[in-house]
Amino acid sequence: MRHLLVDARQRRIAAVLIGRGKKAQLVDWAQLSGFGPDAVMVVDEGALRPPSDDREQAAAAGKLELVGKRALSERGNELGELDDVTFDADTGVLEDLLIGGRRVPAGSLLGCGSYAAVLKETQENAP
Amino acid sequence: MRLLMTASQIRGLPVVTVQGGEDVAEVRDVIYNPEAGRLVGVTLNKRGFLAGRSRDVLAAEAIHAIGQDAVMVLNESSLVAPDDAPDDVGHPATERNVLGDDILTEGGASLGKVVDLVLLVGSSGEVVGYQIDKAGGGQGYIPLPAQLSVSGVALVVPNITEEFIQDDLVGLGAAVDEFRARLGLT
Repeated sequence: MRHLLVDARQRRIAAVLIGRGKKAQLVDWAQLSGFGPDAVMVVDEGALRPPSDDREQAAAAGKLELVGKRALSERGNELGELDDVTFDADTGVLEDLLIGGRRVPAGSLLGCGSYAAVLKETQENAP
Repeated sequence: MRLLMTASQIRGLPVVTVQGGEDVAEVRDVIYNPEAGRLVGVTLNKRGFLAGRSRDVLAAEAIHAIGQDAVMVLNESSLVAPDDAPDDVGHPATERNVLGDDILTEGGASLGKVVDLVLLVGSSGEVVGYQIDKAGGGQGYIPLPAQLSVSGVALVVPNITEEFIQDDLVGLGAAVDEFRARLGLT
C-alpha cells in the first residue's frame, strides 16, 4: 500500500510514501523512474529516505491522506468528502479531484492538511 | 450567497487555515461591538484532547470567511496574542455584552430581551439582528438598523422594529433589507 504526499500550492505530488508509522519512508517524485498500476519503480534503493519535517512526519502518520479527507470551501462550507484524485503519472501534476461524486479541477485546491482539503470558493456554486 | 448565523452557531466552529488545511483552534466566543454593529473578533479554544482556553484571539480583519462548518483564516499567523490584536479584540470592554439586555422602542415599548446575536457571515461579520425572548412570550428575531443606540442596560430600536419581528432566521434575512429600506439607512 502506498500513499501520496501532495504539495497543495503546486498542485502536484511531492513524494510517495512507502509504509506507515515509524517505518515509513518517502521517495521524492523526481526519484521515481516509473509509476504504474502495480508498482512504483525507483532508480535505486538510495531513493528511499525517512520523513524530514513536520509535514512529512504527519504524512507518515497517515494524517495527510487526501482520499477520504473532508473538503471545505474557502468560505467555510463543507463540500463533501474527497473520494479520489487523478494525476498525470509522468509529471505528478494533479488533474481532478472527485468530491461527493463531482469532478473538480485540481486547480481549485488551495491547501491540504490533517483536517481538510480547502478549495476555491467557486466550487461552492458549481452543480 | 447570503448566510445568517447566530453567535451560538459560530461558537465551537473549527478555525481552519486555507493554506494549510489544519484546524488550528476553535471559536470560544464572539466579540461584538454594539455601536459599530459588527463582530470585531473571536476568542478561541484549543483543539484536540487538551482542549482548553487559548490565549490567542482572532480579529475580524484576519478572518478570511465564516461559513456553516468552519471559520477560515489564511494561516496560523492570523491568530495573535491579545496584546498584538486591536484593543477592542485583545481587551474588550466587559459592558459590551448585550445578552440579557432589554430592547425598548423609541416610543418606550418593551420588545423583550436579547438571547443571541444574528450575524451576516461570509466575509463581513455584520450583526444584522438579535434573537430575543419576546416580551409577550416565546422567541423571535428582530432586525437591527445599521447604527444602534446603546444606553446602559437597554437597547433602543426604532418604533417600526415591532412590525418586523420574525419567527425564524430565514424570515429575518428578508426582513433586514426591507426594515433598513424603511428607515432609509441602506
